[in-house]
Parts: sequence; C-alpha cells; structure tokens
Amino acid sequence: MPPGRVFIFLILFVVSVVIMYPFYFMAVTSMRSQSQYELGKGFSFASWIQLFQSVPVAKEMLNSLIVCACAIVIILVLATSAGFALAKAHFRGHGFVLLGIVGGMMIPVQSIIIPEYVNFVGLHLINNYFGAILVYVAVGTPFATFLMTTYFRGVPEELIDAGRCDGLGYGGVFTRIALPIAKPALATVVVLQFIPIWNDLLVGLLFLQEPNVRTFTVGLGVLASSRVVSIPGLMAGSLLSTIPAAVIYIIFQRYLVSGLTLGASK
Amino acid sequence: MATVNLENIKKSYANGFEAVHGLDLSVGEGEFMVLVGPSGCGKTTVLRMVAGLEEVTSGTLRFGNRVMNNVPPRDRDIAMIFQNYALYPHMSVSDNIGFALKLRKMPKDVISKQVGEAAGILGLINWLDQKPGQLSGGQRQRVAMGRAIVREPSVFLMDEPLSNLDAKLRVQMRVEVSRIQRRLGVATFYVTHDQTEAMTMGDRVAVLNNGSLQQCDVPQVLYDRPNNIFVAAFIGSPSMNLYEAFLGSNKTTLSLGSQSIELTDDLVKLRKGLNRYAGKKLIIGVRPEHLMIPGSNDQPYLYGDVDLIEALGSELLVHFSIDARRVHASGVQEDLDTGFSISGEGVARAHARTNVSIGNRVQIGIYVEGIQFFDPTSGNAIWD
Ligand SMILES: Nc1ncnc2c1ncn2[C@@H]1O[C@H](COP(=O)(O)OP(=O)(O)O)[C@@H](O)[C@H]1O
Ligand SMILES: [Mg+2]
Repeated sequence: MPPGRVFIFLILFVVSVVIMYPFYFMAVTSMRSQSQYELGKGFSFASWIQLFQSVPVAKEMLNSLIVCACAIVIILVLATSAGFALAKAHFRGHGFVLLGIVGGMMIPVQSIIIPEYVNFVGLHLINNYFGAILVYVAVGTPFATFLMTTYFRGVPEELIDAGRCDGLGYGGVFTRIALPIAKPALATVVVLQFIPIWNDLLVGLLFLQEPNVRTFTVGLGVLASSRVVSIPGLMAGSLLSTIPAAVIYIIFQRYLVSGLTLGASK
Repeated sequence: MATVNLENIKKSYANGFEAVHGLDLSVGEGEFMVLVGPSGCGKTTVLRMVAGLEEVTSGTLRFGNRVMNNVPPRDRDIAMIFQNYALYPHMSVSDNIGFALKLRKMPKDVISKQVGEAAGILGLINWLDQKPGQLSGGQRQRVAMGRAIVREPSVFLMDEPLSNLDAKLRVQMRVEVSRIQRRLGVATFYVTHDQTEAMTMGDRVAVLNNGSLQQCDVPQVLYDRPNNIFVAAFIGSPSMNLYEAFLGSNKTTLSLGSQSIELTDDLVKLRKGLNRYAGKKLIIGVRPEHLMIPGSNDQPYLYGDVDLIEALGSELLVHFSIDARRVHASGVQEDLDTGFSISGEGVARAHARTNVSIGNRVQIGIYVEGIQFFDPTSGNAIWD
C-alpha cells in the first residue's frame, strides 16, 4: 500500500473512532444499572426496564413520528412545487423570490422561536402537533426549496418540452417527469430534514409540553431534568432515539450521495 | 395528415432580440422540408414556434386551414425529436415510446402493440426494457424516432436529430430517417446546420440566415441557381469560389485581378441582367467542379498557384490562389464591405490522378456556363 493511502486510512480510522465512541459509550452504559455504572463494570437490563417504566416510549415515539412525517411531507410539497416553479416557470421576479428564500436559510430558529411562541399562544397552537409542525416547516422549507431549485435547474429544458409535446400540461410535467427524476433530491431532503427534526429538543420543549403530545426527545429531556438522574437510563433512551434516524439514513443513503453532489457538475 | 403554413412569422424574445424576421414558408402534405442555416440563424426558434413551445410574436401559423398560433403543444398533434433526444431517463424504452399513447388513455394492449411495431421498424425489440442511460447514442436516437412515429402525428418536427452521432452512423441514419418519413408520409420540418444533410434528405430546402429566409426550393435548384451569395456559398461542399470581378464595357470580358476571361455571347444573352453591369464591378461564383485542372487553350482559363492538395481517393481537391479578391459570405450584409481577403484562394475538383503538386503554377480551365453572377452591394444573383 502506498504511504499516501496508509495516511488516509489512518485519518479515517481516527475520525471513525471519534464518531463511534459515543455510540459505544451509550451502548455499554445502557447495559448497566446505576450502581454497575458507578462501579464501571457489570451487565444488566435494569436501565432499559427502568426507561420503559418511567417514559411512555411507544406513545412518545409515535408523537415524534407524527410530527416528523407531517413536517417532512409538507416541506416536500412546498419545496418541490416552489423549486420547480423557480427553476422552470421563468416568471417575472423569480430571482428576487429565490433571494428571499436563501435569506430565510440564514435565520436561526433560536432568533424567531420566542416571537413564534407568543404568536402561537394567541393562535392556540401550543401543545398541538400542528404548531410544532408549522415551526419545523418554516425552518426547513427554505433550504429544501433551494436544494430542489438547484436540482430542477439541472433538468434539461428539452425534457420538459418533450413532455409538453407528448401531451402534458404544467402539472403533468411536474408530477410525471420532474418529480420522478428528482428522487435523489427528494431523498436528500428527507434525510437532511428528518435528522434535525427527529433530534430537535428546543421546539418540542416549547411547543409540545403536555405529556400526551410530547415527542421522544422531550420525554428524555424531562427525564434528564428530573430529581434523580439515571445516566444508564438516559443512555438507553438516547440510543433508542438514534435508531430511526439511522434507519432513514440507511434507506435513503443510496440516493443521498448523488443528491449532495448536485450542482457540483452538470 | 396536414400541411403547415407560416405567414409572415416573426419572433422577438423577451430580451427584445428579434430572432425571426417575417418568415413565409409552407410544407405540403407528406413533404420533407429541411430548414438549414448556420448556427444561431433561428432554425430552432422556428421549429419551436411550430411546436407551440415558443410563442409566435406576429404572423399566422396554420396547420391545414386551422390557425394554430395559440394552440398549446399537446393539442397540435405534432411529434418533435430533439437534438439531445430528451428521452425520459426514469422510463424504460417501451415506456418512453408509449408515453404519449398512455397519456391519450389508449388501452394497454393497443399501446404495447404499437410500441412493438415501432420498435420493430427501428430495431429496438431487444432493448425495450432498458433505461435510456444504458443505450448507445445511436440507440437513443432510435428511441427518439420511435417516440415520434408511434403517435402517428400530423407533423414531424426534428431539430438536428443526427448531429450527436458519429459520421458513419449519421450517414446511415440519414437514409433511415428519410425512409421512415416517406413510408409514413407525414409533413416534416427537419432542422440541420449541415448542408449535405439538407441536400440529401429534403424534398425542398429552406435556407435561413440571421432570421431571414434566403431561398426555399428543391435541392438542385438551390445548387444551380442560388438567389444570393449566401446561398451560393452555403450550399455545396467545398464551397463555391466567389471573387470580385470586373465586367468590361463589351459585356463579355471578365477581369479577375490581373487576368481576364471571355464570356460567350449566348451566356450574356441568357442573363440579361448582366447588361446593367457593363463596365462595373460584380461578384462571380464558380463551383469547384466547374474548374478544370489542367485547363486547355480551347476554353477560357486562368493561371493559379497551387497551395494545397487534398487527396480524397476518388478525386483531388486542389487549393490555389489567384490575384483576384476573394469574397466570403458568412453573413452577407456585414461581410460585403469587409469580407474581401487579399489572396484569392479557391478550390477546384480534379481527377484523382491529375499531375499537380504544391507550388506549381497551373492552368485552370473554367466552364463559363457554370459561372454565377451577383450584385456586389446586395449580394443578389444577377439573372434578368
Ligand atoms: N430564449 C432566448 N432569448 C433570447 N434570445 C434567444 C433565445 N433563444 C435563442 N435566442 C437567440 O436567437 C437566435 C436564434 O437561436 P436558435 O433558433 O436557437 O438558432 P439555431 O437553432 O439556428 O442555432 C440566436 O441568436 C440566439 O442567441
Ligand atoms: Mg438549434
């Protein structure tokens, strides 16, 4: 093996250790009881049992899933239709609209979350799935739209013309040509939106406080802030919460790479 | 089946650029009309207007008697083949070909039968389940053809469909496209920048330059009687030799630089217009096959210096120069004043075993009846 490659492997090895260690820590710690954890050795399912007893895992996972799925579906609908229009409809002022959307990408959620909260209290959208979904959509749509616009710009104009000659109108071109060939971009949006929304604590903590609408991360947050904190129980919960994101990633990663390099070359 | 009629069609793009200036053209039933011209002259624009993909700024577009100006593409019953084929990358070959039929809600078995027929004609039977990405350029071109013919449209529109193929395949597909078009008998608008393609495929050829129609006629007439120096120079390969010349006041002595030849009285009688140029400058054009190397003393001749010889096997192309001023006609209007080059290079076709070599001064015989005459300011042909 040439020295250059050895060097690269070494770097990759170090990086993967850094990335994998927290998982290792979570996995090992979750398999101990509190006393075993303090001792630094031993093996038991106690913390898992404790987790399922103190947190309504299934209910909160379902809440997370509902919020996540709805937000992503809405983001996809908005981002694809807006992206296609921005890339291909050639309407007057589309440059300004895109500029506005890119500007939206720069606004951190932290800076708008309090005014948003005040607004939503007035609209009775607190402790309501829809309130949180709206916030996630508002935060996620600009980047998703930007990504879809870039992708659709790469779709040859003649493909659309061919569709129009074959008998499609604007809507037909969008649903039967543009969307099917945008699969890599759609997968990219799904993965890039799912992970932050699933992992989100801030928005959930503010907008979904009541136990019946709590997401899993909020549930864990509550667990972490209770009087007696069980580190192994928390680790079990954290490990559990990484699984859906990993599953989503594995399902879509086939498309993800080509989606992320979009626009890099024609 | 339909005829296509363009009446004073103009196209201005959103940026104000007028790409087509009042085009009159008609394609008869079953006719193969080729639209040819240099890149950027507006061919694609014309085709896209006929397809309905681009709005007609002014003028009238008719299919048969029906005005089509504002009819959307899907209601025009046209099939278009694009330069880069524009196959749907997410559909198999058979879905690509059958897509338009599917949109018309035809029954599945009818679609697969028609797709099968088209695939049979085009030799695509074994590729029906492949995606376009897995096909070669030639096969993709066939799929694009298949997509067009399966619909049995009333008008075919083809935009440089062969320009992405390699030379050999292009010649082969040229024949194939012509054959299919004749078999289906559908009015066809075929765009190309390649004059050979235009001449070999077209029933009629429309020559376009800078958004204006230069001439539209059957290929032989374009070749024998070009309307202006643009058509003269554009049609034919190698290109017609165009020189600045001077017609003596006797109307038969034609001076080219320091040399001169005698025209026949018959020729001058046939081209009455030449009378107006007695004692004046004009432009003459001579096809390479109307120059004989070596010439002889019993026909008009010039002397030229051989610069280059291209041996094509079947014949030689002898490049020579004389001291007359050469006229180039890339864009007629602009180039008339500035397009004269100092050395009067020209090309002659010669027999493959002609004994010439570079640097020789040769006698070049001229077939006087083949000379074309053009006005030096307008570039228009001089006839009567
Ligand atoms: N959308 C457009 N906006 C402005 N100008 C255009 C547009 N499309 C084409 N043109 C211009 O119109 C002229 C003709 O273009 P085109 O019809 O594509 O030429 P051709 O197909 O003969 O090469 C060119 O000068 C081109 O730059
Ligand atoms: Mg073109």
